[in-house]
Amino acid sequence: MFAQRTTTPSEARSGASYRLPPTVTEAVVTVPRSRRPRPRGNRSRLSRIAGLAWVLPALVVLGVFVYLPLVQNFVFSTQESDIYTGTQQFVGLANYEKLLGDPIFWSAFGNNVLYAVLSIVFQVGGALILAAMIESLRSSRWRKALRAIYFIPSAISLTVAGLLFYFIYEPNLGLLNHLLSTVGLGGLAQPWLGQESTAMVSIIAMSQWQGFGYCTLLFAVAIQRIPSELYEAASLDGIGSVGRFFHITVPLVREMTGLMMIITISGAFQVFNEVMVMTSGGPNNSTQVLASWLYRSGFVRNDFGYAAAIATVLFIVTMIVALAQLWYTRRRRVEF
Amino acid sequence: MRTPRTLAVVTAAATALALAGCAGGTAQPVADISAEPDFSGELSILTKFGGDPLEAYFEDLAAEYEQLHPDVKLELIQETDQSIKDKTKTLTASGALPDIFFTWTGNWAQNFVRGGIAADLSEVIAPGTEWGDTFGEASLSAFEFDGKYYGIPLYNNGKFMGYSKAAFQAAGVEVPTTFEELIGACGPLRDAGYEPIAFGNKDGWPALHYLQQLFAHNVPSDVLQADFDPETAKWDDPGYAAALEQFGELVGTCTDSGKGTNGVLYTTAQEALGSGRAAMYYQEVLEFDSITVEGAKVTTEDFGIFPLPAAEGAAGDPAAIEGSPEGYFINAKSPQAALAVDFMRFATSTEHAQTLSSPPYGQPSTVVGAVTEETSSKAVFEGITKVNEASQLVVWLDTVTVPEVADAWLAGGEALISGSATPEEVLESVRAANDDAK
Amino acid sequence: MNRIGFVGAIARVFVWSFLLGLVLVVLYPLLWMVLNGFKTNAELFGNPFALPLQFGWQNYVDAWNRGVSDYLTASVLVTITSTITTVFISAWAAYGLTRVRMPFGRTISGIILGGLMLAPAVALVPLVRMFQAMGLYNTFWALLILYTAFRIPFTTFLIRSYMIDLPREVDEAAEVDGASRWTAFWLIILPMCRPIIISTILLHVLFAWNEYLFAMVFTSGTTIQTLPVGLTSLMSKHGTDYPVVFAGMVVAALPVIVLFFVSQRHFVKGLAEGMGK
Repeated sequence: MFAQRTTTPSEARSGASYRLPPTVTEAVVTVPRSRRPRPRGNRSRLSRIAGLAWVLPALVVLGVFVYLPLVQNFVFSTQESDIYTGTQQFVGLANYEKLLGDPIFWSAFGNNVLYAVLSIVFQVGGALILAAMIESLRSSRWRKALRAIYFIPSAISLTVAGLLFYFIYEPNLGLLNHLLSTVGLGGLAQPWLGQESTAMVSIIAMSQWQGFGYCTLLFAVAIQRIPSELYEAASLDGIGSVGRFFHITVPLVREMTGLMMIITISGAFQVFNEVMVMTSGGPNNSTQVLASWLYRSGFVRNDFGYAAAIATVLFIVTMIVALAQLWYTRRRRVEF
Repeated sequence: MRTPRTLAVVTAAATALALAGCAGGTAQPVADISAEPDFSGELSILTKFGGDPLEAYFEDLAAEYEQLHPDVKLELIQETDQSIKDKTKTLTASGALPDIFFTWTGNWAQNFVRGGIAADLSEVIAPGTEWGDTFGEASLSAFEFDGKYYGIPLYNNGKFMGYSKAAFQAAGVEVPTTFEELIGACGPLRDAGYEPIAFGNKDGWPALHYLQQLFAHNVPSDVLQADFDPETAKWDDPGYAAALEQFGELVGTCTDSGKGTNGVLYTTAQEALGSGRAAMYYQEVLEFDSITVEGAKVTTEDFGIFPLPAAEGAAGDPAAIEGSPEGYFINAKSPQAALAVDFMRFATSTEHAQTLSSPPYGQPSTVVGAVTEETSSKAVFEGITKVNEASQLVVWLDTVTVPEVADAWLAGGEALISGSATPEEVLESVRAANDDAK
Repeated sequence: MNRIGFVGAIARVFVWSFLLGLVLVVLYPLLWMVLNGFKTNAELFGNPFALPLQFGWQNYVDAWNRGVSDYLTASVLVTITSTITTVFISAWAAYGLTRVRMPFGRTISGIILGGLMLAPAVALVPLVRMFQAMGLYNTFWALLILYTAFRIPFTTFLIRSYMIDLPREVDEAAEVDGASRWTAFWLIILPMCRPIIISTILLHVLFAWNEYLFAMVFTSGTTIQTLPVGLTSLMSKHGTDYPVVFAGMVVAALPVIVLFFVSQRHFVKGLAEGMGK
């Protein structure tokens, strides 16, 4: 069933090896020996320094607007500031102590973790399976059509999707409850965003709807690169379609999977848009995530120092995720 | 990364820069409000009148003023009731507040006074001055701190239960005078096919408005006022628990949305009254005229109001009404302060005040004589009369307390509605927030 | 038909019904959104399933007049300008990192690509102060700079992984012909990178058009509000006029969907070539 059709000429690149997408960290760390530029003789020193000019704009922009605020943020997190008087007071690690004892912070952190777990299941696992299903279809028109249709929600902004689903989830005039009662499941109708037990999961569901098409597309691209001979050989050996999926597809898209996982997990910790639009973190702070709690602490509760502390935690988490991925992929690489 | 030395150097440099940036700000010139204004330049105003139909008010004012003084350019930043809190905080945090900006009363206003951001206007607007005497004195003192007058009250506001007279007639109920009667009326109203009270708490503050009014009824006034200041607050009067239970009873018995109210927008609830599906909706005077718009099922004849009635034997002040004036501050650091004062004088002339108080705006001006039976709609006039006759005005819970406590009440209100916390647990969380705020 | 064939047929039915069911789950909410833009308020509150009574454009006109035209202009402006700046700065950086020998090459590579780890929310508070101090707080420039800065890492990453595999002979031939690096970049390397450049342009457009956090915090007043922020503003300003909000949502969503459909071949091609070389 998951038989791979032949790779078309336009997709295969003859001559080049079937090397799958480099990961972030590999991009950073590895410059293959055969690819290093050769020295250019006595022009070298001047031209080397002039070479810096190419990266200078990027460095300046990043330095001033990305890295500097990062450092400043850490400094702010050690202060208590009053926006009305415009003064700051150094308080050391007091904000971090407060953070550790704050139940809403932990609930927000938990929400982000929940987000990450569910996103990995649906947007990495689910999308991979879906991509395999699509790529196994014989008709190339259907493949293109399905990939395109599934991608549409990803082209819509999270704000629009959030507003749309706010209305879908609305208890009285929303689509979902009406649909449920039409098919006789009216007992399941409830205020999805209005009660604490279902609010977070409802938001996450919307996010999966919006994001899965993007992941499916990327996985489809990765699957297309797998040479069909491998599948043919396997089916000749009598391996069933499910077996082919697990023994060929899954291992060979490993690098894309790794990339998707880092994107998904980082994304899960940076969730902001959908929560703000659908529930603003309520009811009773049950749908707060780190970014929205950060915003609320700073801009609503006037505690900018505390907001900066939350931001620092956010940074540490995303850095750990990236470093973990660095460690993981340095140990394995896919070569045909 | 691979080069710790480079990274360390970069980090050190950046930290030095960051700390330099944190050094105290430069001294700003203090605004001189009584100077003769130089009628040129730009004036920026942050208003709460975003959207239909209110935004036209300041737009018209600005156009008129620019015609009188062609060298003056007015920049309007019009936000809505929901978005202005965020906007103001962002502007304050970045020191970018405009020359004139909107403010509520209570702790909200006090923060600006404390931070030296609100200009002291006693010289021009205190009772006894020419301009000051055009306002009702109660509205001026809402913006008075430490004997000085800081704010310009633009309009008054109070919270009432708006109802459809047709619905009451159909159900055969009278206007309730006690809380028990209100609860009792909900059954017959529901039988007559109406949603008794439309209620949408997605934004959190609608619940707070119920709570504050119930507090005013159930908690002795001096205790309540003391509890607004974190230093003197105790939040343990039995009246609070009584109020919270009454609130729970109201949500459970009288609303159709019940536990799901946190998922409903207040505008949906407003629409429910206006289109005749609901019998009652708890709302501010400012909202009266937007219910009875053209095309709504509830007409000005059909629309009535009554204050939320107190329970029998309530220990607080049964004649208190929740409400407060709303107004504008002049930025103390503004170089155009004198011009700003002149514009606000212009904006609060009797003629403009009357325009503001009439439909379609329906924002009852605090200027004496602006709200009359001729200028304002029936409901607005009745509402303001009641506001003026109330024994006291109790300010909104989310602007009168400090943000931490306000936030705890916001979450608490939501929790009470969804049933995830008991009144005692909510009070606990409020006390904890209060301690944090000390 | 043997047993395996029968199971295979069942499996095929399952796969197809799943895929088509998913199509329904994707398209139905979107269809609902479009239809709601044609309803009146009363119809919306009445029966969510019903088709609109008439397909008038009044809601769209209202939405347009109530600010959506300004939001659209702002979004287009910010998107186009930030796409240009981001792609060029990233292409320069990618070229520098892959074809030019420079001191500290690996470190610089790390610094630029390390930016991928930084969440925008982390920088929010300091950026607010920084921009106010620079006097750029409430301006178009703030968004332009931020959209560029926070997308450089990802865009550089994509272009770099494509450029890395371009054959060296091309550079050497250019050098032999006496062309400077600058000329070589513009006339030779960049055109060769067309597929990935197109993909990065499309990805950046997707980002800039839909970005919310910075737009919300850094812009005030309708002149510079982009569509995502403007929509929430529309919702709060005309609270009870939901169909107009739906019309606004369709206006916000449509351009990118159309853009994607028109360019999907290039988009996929660029990603496939760039990431898979």
